[in-house]
Amino acid sequence: MKGWVIGIDVGSLTTDAVIMDEDKRVLSFSIVDTGYNSTDAAREAMTVAAGRAGLELEDVSRLVATGYGRAAVPEANKRVTEIACHAAGAVYLFPDTEMVIDIGGQDSKVIKVGKDGRVQDFVMNDKCAAGTGRFLEVMSAKLKIPLDGMGDISISARGEAAISSVCTVFAESEVVSLVARNCPKEEIVKGIHRSVVNRVWAMTRQLRVSGGVTMTGGVAKNRGVVALMEERVGRRINVPDEPQIVGALGAALFALREK
Amino acid sequence: MHLDLETRTRKDYIREQKSLHGRKVMGVFPAQYPRELLLAMNILPVEIWDPPLRTREASAHLQSYICSVVSLGLELILQGKCSDLDAFLFPHTCDSIQNLASIVNDYLGIHKPCYFFYHPKAPYKRASRPYYISQLKELKSGLEKQFGELRETDLKRSVDRWEEIRKDISKCYLLRSEGRLNTSNRAFYSILRRVEYLHPDDFHPLLTNFLQSGRTETERQGHGVLLSGVLPNPPEVLDHLDAIGVRVVDDDLLSCSRRFLSGPVSNSDPYEAMAETYFSLPPCSTRGSAIEERLNHILKKIRSSRADGVIFLIVKFCEPEFFDVPILADSLKKEGIPVLVLENEINQALSGQIVTRIEAFAEMLG
Ligand code: SF4
Repeated sequence: MKGWVIGIDVGSLTTDAVIMDEDKRVLSFSIVDTGYNSTDAAREAMTVAAGRAGLELEDVSRLVATGYGRAAVPEANKRVTEIACHAAGAVYLFPDTEMVIDIGGQDSKVIKVGKDGRVQDFVMNDKCAAGTGRFLEVMSAKLKIPLDGMGDISISARGEAAISSVCTVFAESEVVSLVARNCPKEEIVKGIHRSVVNRVWAMTRQLRVSGGVTMTGGVAKNRGVVALMEERVGRRINVPDEPQIVGALGAALFALREK
Repeated sequence: MHLDLETRTRKDYIREQKSLHGRKVMGVFPAQYPRELLLAMNILPVEIWDPPLRTREASAHLQSYICSVVSLGLELILQGKCSDLDAFLFPHTCDSIQNLASIVNDYLGIHKPCYFFYHPKAPYKRASRPYYISQLKELKSGLEKQFGELRETDLKRSVDRWEEIRKDISKCYLLRSEGRLNTSNRAFYSILRRVEYLHPDDFHPLLTNFLQSGRTETERQGHGVLLSGVLPNPPEVLDHLDAIGVRVVDDDLLSCSRRFLSGPVSNSDPYEAMAETYFSLPPCSTRGSAIEERLNHILKKIRSSRADGVIFLIVKFCEPEFFDVPILADSLKKEGIPVLVLENEINQALSGQIVTRIEAFAEMLG
């Protein structure tokens, strides 16, 4: 049997699968909506990824599950937290990584990583939507701008609206007032991004890392957020081509390690 | 018929203590108080830390940023679940307990006697010890008016008894830290926490039995952590640590070791002996201990128990703890010790995020 493995990340919004061979090459990946049934979503993600790699699921020798729904993958040989997986995945992609910033749909995490890809410390924002993808989602709905268009819009802004509240509910009412005052959309969006970045940056400061920074999670696709974060941390940030699958990638690496 | 201690509810137990032993029952709020004194007067202290309730009525009297120990304690009273108690005791633990004492005593009109116990805060001075003894005597005089005279011989016996129990609690801690106590995290605290309401006649045999039956010579498996914070609640944290093979090898919990692991008593005068106990307790945020003292104490415990990391289990809005925890966590990290700070409401179910943080912390330990 070949040494193909699957890493699967069952998140609150999407479920991602990565298939890897024993030489640590990524053969395929998939991203599907988690929906209300994590087990079904995991099966779908695995089947899609296997299909893309031209494999049958039976060809896979080992499966590691991560993410909030990791317990809902009965086929998993092992379960690892998304914190360890994002760290392993980020170091695999960018070996200079010393800090991972993962802004996900429901929470955000900042992880301090050793050269070996192991977690040394982490901070998680798990109290409210501030500083998470959810905050951006609420704002995009309010402004009627598609989520994936927000980054480009904010890059084009010349000024920036000040959003002082970190609370999603209060920030929403600030945005309403800004709209009422005819503040340009792009400036409001930039202000929203700044609010997310400030919140996450406060978390990064707790870990005191001076080396390479890698951003993972769906929000890393937002160029506006990444640009403001780079400004805040004072250096260039590594952004993977597919930041959403870094957790699943890390899980696949764990699957190889355990073989 | 006596129900087995395992199955008897706290309410049944209290009622039985009253009817069978003619004991009076005192509802005691956290944390530090002279239990020897109460027991010597045939008063059973029943501590109110984390009643299994949801806050409903207490919110009308309290600010939203109050700790759930206080809000649930008040809820217990407001829901009329304290009818078997003969009085309340409020030790001077923190501003929140002080406020609660004032609400219960001055505003609720519940017509139950309320007692207050003030103890000196660190840094201790020459006057601290005489002050502590004067407070013990003042409490005694107050209680005598309601519960009858306290005989010195009864007090002496009660002090000696508590000293014996404390020695056995210390033994449990020592064996556990050496890995020679075969018990789960959940079982250890569920036994220890019975001290919060059982009479020594029932608690001490339970403890000695636990001690004897749990002794083992096998080496500790897996990782060990030191638990700090207020109290081991929610118990699901303990269950989860058990499930992933992480053993709590020692603690610095306000409700546990910080109240029980005092030095040995040498004085034969019961008041002096109680003072000796008090002043030899481990450093604590609610007794104003210096942060360096707390840090050194935790470091010493980490070394002696070979703990791999520290978990702070903090009750949301606990003022005294939040003054210390950021500095303690930071200093421990600088020493290279992995630290996890969990903030939770009492009785709140473990969220997926908290589970993830616990597991990620365990992974970090190696
Ligand atoms: S949890 Fe903290 S604030 Fe609340 S009663 Fe206990 S010591 Fe006071």
